[in-house]
Amino acid sequence: MPQMGVSVAEGTIVEWRKRPGDWVERDETIVEISTDKVETEVPAPASGRVSELLVEVGQTVDVGTLLAVIDIGARPGEAHADELPEAGAQAPAAAAGSPAAEADVAAGSATTGAPPTSPVVRRIAAEHGVDLANVTGSGRRGRVTKRDVLAHVEAAPKRAEPVLHSESPYREPETQGEPQSAPAANGSGLSVMRRRIGEHMVRSLHTAAHCTTVVEADMSAVEAARGRLSYLPFVARATVAALREHPALNATLEDGRLTRHEEVHLGVAVALGDDGLIVPVVRNAHELSHEGLAARIADLAERARTRRLSPDEVGGGTFTITNPGRYGALLATPIINQPQVAILDLEAVVRRPVAVGGDSIGIRPMTYLCMSWDHRALDGVLAARFLGSVRRNLEEWRG
Amino acid sequence: MPETTYLQAISDGLREEMRHDDTVFCLGEDIGAFGGAFKVTDGFIEEFGGRRVWDTPLAESAIIGTAVGAAVEGLRPVCEMQFADFIACGFDQLVNVAAKMHYRQGLPVPLTVRLPSGGGFSGGPFHSQNPEAWFLQAPGLKVVAPSTPADAKGLLAAAIRDPNPVVYLEHKHLYRRAKGEVPEGRYEIPLGKARLAREGTDLTVIAYGAMVPLALEATEDMAGARVEVLDLRSLVPLDHDAVLASVRKTSKVVVLHEATRSCGVGAEVAALIAEEAFEDLDGPVVRVSAPDVPIPFSPPLERAVLPQVDDVREACRELLAY
Repeated sequence: MPQMGVSVAEGTIVEWRKRPGDWVERDETIVEISTDKVETEVPAPASGRVSELLVEVGQTVDVGTLLAVIDIGARPGEAHADELPEAGAQAPAAAAGSPAAEADVAAGSATTGAPPTSPVVRRIAAEHGVDLANVTGSGRRGRVTKRDVLAHVEAAPKRAEPVLHSESPYREPETQGEPQSAPAANGSGLSVMRRRIGEHMVRSLHTAAHCTTVVEADMSAVEAARGRLSYLPFVARATVAALREHPALNATLEDGRLTRHEEVHLGVAVALGDDGLIVPVVRNAHELSHEGLAARIADLAERARTRRLSPDEVGGGTFTITNPGRYGALLATPIINQPQVAILDLEAVVRRPVAVGGDSIGIRPMTYLCMSWDHRALDGVLAARFLGSVRRNLEEWRG
Repeated sequence: MPETTYLQAISDGLREEMRHDDTVFCLGEDIGAFGGAFKVTDGFIEEFGGRRVWDTPLAESAIIGTAVGAAVEGLRPVCEMQFADFIACGFDQLVNVAAKMHYRQGLPVPLTVRLPSGGGFSGGPFHSQNPEAWFLQAPGLKVVAPSTPADAKGLLAAAIRDPNPVVYLEHKHLYRRAKGEVPEGRYEIPLGKARLAREGTDLTVIAYGAMVPLALEATEDMAGARVEVLDLRSLVPLDHDAVLASVRKTSKVVVLHEATRSCGVGAEVAALIAEEAFEDLDGPVVRVSAPDVPIPFSPPLERAVLPQVDDVREACRELLAY
C-alpha cells in the first residue's frame, strides 16, 4: 500500500486491474485504491508478470502492506493460462496488448493524417464539439487552421441552448463528457466513495445547526470583466476577500473548539459524474488573483476528474464553495463540509429584469448566493453581513 | 495640427517641459554651445542659460551620477547620452544607484536618460546599438521607445514627469525621416500603453521604435491578408493587455525588433504569449530581429544584419501560410 500523501495511514482496495498471470507494464495501473480522501490508481512499480494478489477487494490495510507480487523475471507475450482454452477468441486481444503490436499501431498513425493542430484550433474544436477529422485543412501539409475550424463551426447548425439558462457560466464542452462509472446493478452495495460522502453528510447534519441565508447579486461587472473565464473564480475571489473581512466565517469548529484561521484554504466542490464529488482545496487562496484562482481551480478539477489528486490536496480547507448551477438550478441549501462553519453555493446566473437606478427596469445577469452556516459558530446577522460583502465585491468588481 | 519631424518633436517636448517647470534641466556632452550632436538641444543654452543646459565632460558615469543626486534633491534632470552605446559607461549609476533608490531608500528619482539609438547609417559597432534589453533586467527602470513624432513628444513629457528613472530610446534613423502631425502645447502619452498602428485580423506584427514604420510598409499589401501592427511604445511597463488582446484576435504573431535576438524584447513578448495566450495560438510565435552579432560598418553587411522590409514580409508570408 503506497504512501499517497503524508497524512494517509491506510487504504482500501477498490478494484484489481490485473489478475495473477497477467503481464503488467511499468507505470500501467495495477490496482485502484481508496483512502479516506481520494480514490486513485496505483501504477505498477516494474514490468513483469503478476504472480500473486495478497489483498482482496474491499479490504483496508496499513500503508506499507504488501499488496501483490510481480515476477520481473517473466517474459511478455505469453498468454495467461486461463485464456488458452479460448485461444481463438482471445488471441487478437492478447496480440493487440503486446508491446510489439502497440508499436505498429503507433507507427501507422504517425505516417498518415495531417500535422498536429494548434492550441487555438483544438480549443475551438472542443468548445464547439467539432471532430477535426471532418475539417479540411488549408495550412501547410493540410494542417487545419483557425480559419478552417471557424468556417466549419459557422457552417454547422447551431446547437440548442439549454432553457432557462442563456449566458450560463458553466458551458462545459459536451464532447469531454464526465467520467461515467458502470451503473451498479440493482441492489448492489454503494461504492466506497458514495459511502464516504454519505457518512460525511449525515455526520455534518447531525453535528451542525444548519441555517441557510440567500442574497441576490448582479453579475454585470463580473460579466464585463470575465472574458473567457467562468464566474466561479470571480465568486471565489470575492469570497476570499469577504472572508478576510469577516474571519469568523473562515473557521473550523471541532470538539467544541472554534478556531479562526489566518489563511484561507478554499475548498471547491468538483463533480465526478455518477461516482460522486470531491472537494479539492486551493491552499492560500488569499494570495491569488482571480486569474490565479481560475488556473488553480481548473488544475485541481482536471486532476480530480482524472483521479490524480494527492490526498493532501483534499483536506485542511477553511471554507467551501460549491457550484452546481450549470444545470440551471436557482437555489439550494448545501450541507456544511465539516469541520468548517459555512459553505457557499453559487447557482445559475440568469438574465432577469430587475429594478435599476430608481424606477427603471433593466435586464441584468443575476444569481443567488446561498450560504449554509453553522448556528453554533455564528449568528444570522454575521452571515448576512458576510454575504453582503461578497455581493459588494462582485457588483463593484475591480479585479 | 502642424507636421514636424521626430527630432523636432523631441526638441519641442523638452523645451516645453523646461519652460513650464524650472526644476527640469538637461545635461550631456556638447548639448549646450554645440546644440547636441544631433541638434536636439539647438538654441537651448540661449533660451535657458548655462545653469539649465550643462555641457559635461566625456563621462557618462558622472552625467548620470550627478543627475541622480539632483533628482533625489527634487530636480528633474534630462541626461543625453550622445549615443545610446555610451550608456555602458554610466551603467552602474543607472542600474544600481538610480533604479534601486526607491526600493532601498524610499526616494523618488525623477530622472530621464535620452538614448539616441539604432543603426542604418554605417555607424559601426559603437554607434548603432539598440541596448534596451539591458534595462529590461533592471527592476526600477522604465523604458520607452516611441516611433512617431507625436508619441516622441508625449512620451518624453511623461518620462520627465514620472517619479521614476526612465530610459528614453530615440531612434536616430527616425530623427529626420519620421514626420507627422504633433499636437501643440504640453500633453502626455501614458507610460505602459501600446498603440494599434494598424488594425488587422489575420496576423499581428508587434514592434517598437524604427521597426514600426518598417512593419507598416512591409505588411501593407499581403495578398488579401489583413495584418495588425501593434506599436509597444513602452517596453517597461509592457502593455500585456494590448499584446494579449491582439493575439486573441489574430492568433499569429511576428515580433519585430532591430536589437539582437537572444533574451530581447521579442523573447519576452513571445514568452508572455506562450504563458497567457497559448490556447489562442494558431502558429509559432516568430521573431524577426538582428542576429547576435555586432553591427558592421560595411553598408551591405549592415543591411544584411538589420531587419529589412523583405525579411518582415517573408516572415509574415510564411506564418500566414502555416
